Amino acid sequence: MKILVSWLRDFVTIDVGIQALADALTAHGFEVSSIDPPPTTENKTSQEDAVLDLEITTNRPDCLSIFGIAREVSTIFKTPLRLPPAETISKEHSTCPIQLTIENTELCPHYTASAAEVTVGPSPDWLAARLEATGIRPINNIVDITNYVMTELGHPMHAFDLECLDGQHLHVRRARTKEKLKTLDGVQRSLAEDMLVIADDSTPQAIAGVIGGASSEVSTTTKRVAFESAYFLPVSIRRTSKQLPVSTDASYRFERGADINAPVTAMHRAQELMSSIGAGHTIGKTIDHYPSPQQKSVIRLRLARINRILGVTIDKPFVSDVLERLGFGVELLPALDTQWRISVPSFRVDVKLEIDLIEEVVRHYGYDRLPATFPQLVRPPAPLSNELQRQRLLRRILTASGCFEAITYGFIDQSIAMRFVTDKNDLASMANPLSEKAAVLRPSLVPGLIDALIRNRRREQEDIRLFEIGHRFSRQNGETSGVAIALTGAGSLKHWSGETRPSDLFDLKGIIEKVSDAIGLSVFLEPSDHPWLMPGHSAVIRASFPNRASAKTVGSIGQLLPELAIERGFPAAGEAVYVAELDLNGLSPLTEDRSSRNVTPLPRYPSIVRDIAIVVHRSLPAATVRDTIRSVSADSLVEIHEFDRYEGKGVPSGSVSLAFRLTFRRSDRTLTDAEVIQTLDKIVETLKTAHQATLR
Amino acid sequence: MHSRIWLPEPKMPESQINPASVNQLRDEFMSELTLVTSEDGLRKLRDRYLGRKRGAVQALLKSVRSAPAETRPELGRRANELKQFIENKLESRQTDLTTNQEPIEPVDVTLPGRIVRLGRRHPLTIVREEIENIFECLGFEVLEGPEVEDDYHNFEALNMPPEHPARDMQDTLYLDSPLTDGTNRPATLLRTHTSGMQIRYMEAHNPPVRIIAPGLVYRRDTPDQTHSPMFQQIEGLLVGNDITMADLKGTLECFLQQVFEPNTKVMFRPSFFPYTEPSAEVFISCVFCHGNGCSVCKKTGWLEILGSGMVHPAVLEAVGYDSERYTGWAFGVGIDRIALLKYRVEDIRSFYENDLRLLEQFPY
Repeated sequence: MKILVSWLRDFVTIDVGIQALADALTAHGFEVSSIDPPPTTENKTSQEDAVLDLEITTNRPDCLSIFGIAREVSTIFKTPLRLPPAETISKEHSTCPIQLTIENTELCPHYTASAAEVTVGPSPDWLAARLEATGIRPINNIVDITNYVMTELGHPMHAFDLECLDGQHLHVRRARTKEKLKTLDGVQRSLAEDMLVIADDSTPQAIAGVIGGASSEVSTTTKRVAFESAYFLPVSIRRTSKQLPVSTDASYRFERGADINAPVTAMHRAQELMSSIGAGHTIGKTIDHYPSPQQKSVIRLRLARINRILGVTIDKPFVSDVLERLGFGVELLPALDTQWRISVPSFRVDVKLEIDLIEEVVRHYGYDRLPATFPQLVRPPAPLSNELQRQRLLRRILTASGCFEAITYGFIDQSIAMRFVTDKNDLASMANPLSEKAAVLRPSLVPGLIDALIRNRRREQEDIRLFEIGHRFSRQNGETSGVAIALTGAGSLKHWSGETRPSDLFDLKGIIEKVSDAIGLSVFLEPSDHPWLMPGHSAVIRASFPNRASAKTVGSIGQLLPELAIERGFPAAGEAVYVAELDLNGLSPLTEDRSSRNVTPLPRYPSIVRDIAIVVHRSLPAATVRDTIRSVSADSLVEIHEFDRYEGKGVPSGSVSLAFRLTFRRSDRTLTDAEVIQTLDKIVETLKTAHQATLR
Repeated sequence: MHSRIWLPEPKMPESQINPASVNQLRDEFMSELTLVTSEDGLRKLRDRYLGRKRGAVQALLKSVRSAPAETRPELGRRANELKQFIENKLESRQTDLTTNQEPIEPVDVTLPGRIVRLGRRHPLTIVREEIENIFECLGFEVLEGPEVEDDYHNFEALNMPPEHPARDMQDTLYLDSPLTDGTNRPATLLRTHTSGMQIRYMEAHNPPVRIIAPGLVYRRDTPDQTHSPMFQQIEGLLVGNDITMADLKGTLECFLQQVFEPNTKVMFRPSFFPYTEPSAEVFISCVFCHGNGCSVCKKTGWLEILGSGMVHPAVLEAVGYDSERYTGWAFGVGIDRIALLKYRVEDIRSFYENDLRLLEQFPY
């Protein structure tokens, strides 16, 4: 809202400089976003002038006007407020030539109309200059009058060419099926049936409160006009304006809430202005249709409540003075010396409750004068939730594993999302996405993460390890949280001391194992295919607590399909990309609470370490061999560690040599060599029978 | 290194010399030899045993002459054997010391160390956890909630009736059909703030309430330097018996001075939000020019940082609280905004590009 300071001075005396005025308005909730020089034409007085651009919050439509701001200024600086001039009630008793029919008083509870004989021409310079200064283009004296009154008082008006109205009859009604209207902006608009229109006897001539029609536009040939000054229901205006869509200065004010009692005031101001600038004179009486005038709302305001909300003691006279200056009716209740009966003026559509009055009081008291205190702690806070503790732990482990945390968008391209679901209907799509690339909610964290990885790869980064903790969305499972990891490039970073090796699946598996261990999950991998992973190089992650029989799938791991990586922009000859994702929902039954676990005493007896190397069929999983070994020597085998896997010369083709380092120990006594040898013999024997293994 | 162990003088064979004393001297020599680590030490050892004047072997040889005639040849032979033995040992030790004393090759300590692979948290996480820690210290509980919300928790319960401007299609991202969430209210939109969590908490708990709710929120904003359709927010809520606007001021001042600098100035200005009344926009003295005026703060010296206010009675009533008995305040702050200012990041979009060259610049 642009405010011309010299216009403001019509209603209130301003004794401070422009900057001080702007600062005061800002501090009272009307942020001055810019101060511009005034138009040069109006410079009759020596007083400082400027155009202030104010940000008016949506709750204060009454301040979308010079007079509304003047009221605030008079309250801020405690100076008197002067009312704008208005035509005294017309003595003419002749009837108004306009006929008015309000069909829908619900959407239009107050409608004022009057007719005038006019001489259409340009407005006087001062008036045109004031309009221009406030951002309105002058058109002709009649249209300018309606805009001038709107800017000054905040109440939108409209003028019809009376002779263009069929039957000189105004009908306020809903639009009919398939009705159309060419509006003032030259656009032919189709009207919906819930839109309120102002029509003559045959067709709509204006969309009520939004925009006028072209056919009854006031032009240089216009001889007689019908002025409209009405109040329309905000919800209806808002809906219509959104639906068309068209937003005007009028709809902007009506949808926020105009003053239901203002139509007559605005009409009188327009009539006064018309005669004072010689643009025409009113014919006949002003029609005022206001069948059920609004009851003034009354609110009880308690001093104690003010002080309780604000945390500061405010003087009674200050409260009364501020509210009176703002236009409220203030009556101190005699029986209770600390309570007021406040009647709310109709222009303050935002004030409905006591708290709204308290806001007025503190706004003028000054936020800067409130003390800064601390709320009393009355109850100890609850500890951090398991989920949040887990997230923080995951971040510690993952960053310590060399992974950088990424945050990617929650919405992704449908085509990539499709690769991560088996059923397209499982995707949650957006009704109003920003773009095709953000059309569905991510069903997995992996697609966003690989895009981030690829973006880095294309920006000269080669060794990339990323993770993300976030939510995934699916129609079947709803919203779940998970953690995903993606990596590519060197497994160990290049160093002058030696050669590097590329990352492989086991780098990622190692991280997943650590991460799982940290959050109390015992996991193992089972070969399994996924649409986005390379067959034979992918697995499901299974959690086996309390035992393996009750294992549940908690994630996936594997090498990303190279063609998928390339499709997303990864270099064609690029390195392998590995990705894993772990569910973080519903883990509680699968996790062991390790935070309260007792320590195991350190071993009191020495251990004996023996290595064995066996040759088995190459398709035999290492885990199976490990299980077999464990099953034989449960009482003394404490650790089993694969330290070599070899295929080639010396090993029959189709076979593989596996080397294990076995650590034996007993907790109750020292093991003897003889015992260990015996156990080893048994292990070898069992491996032979179970897996046709031979000692190497 | 010289052996710093103090050694007693080798025992001189006294008047009586016998085979045992020869052996003893030999043993003593051997044990001393093992302690020698330098040529200097070896020279001293030679002097002590083979020295002309005070050498122990020399003394032994002398004493042979005074031995009884029948044992003299045998003892003489043994003493000479010992002398020869010691000479050989000293000789070979001398060779060891000279040949093994290769010059110590210095390492080039300026060569880079092996890189310890350590990732980092995302800058938004760093800021988020910092804010969480501040409020945890102030006794607040940290809550998380769903990103897909129902209309009631995102708008209606927050005093935003169906025709409120903030509910426009431009601002809110809607799903084409509700996501199943097990409640009777269909989750149809991406939350535009984390306030829904506050409503849920109040529905389930009686006052006092002292919570913060961090998380991702979504708005239908076209991305540019200062806008992102997804960003992180933290909202705080305090409801109790005597919660005042002065408390809000004190708490937010404390919070902002901890997140930014202790001398940060904090300003409160009237504003409007449907869910708070009175409402306040909070500004901090510009982190770039310290309030002197620069292009970032548009010469005002102030930067807008968060929105806050006293919880609107309608919000308290919506969750069944007695708004006469309880008062409260709430605030909402963009984590991205704080991170932008704190780390002088120029473009909010760069937070979601996850460029390692940017990510590795933030603290561990």
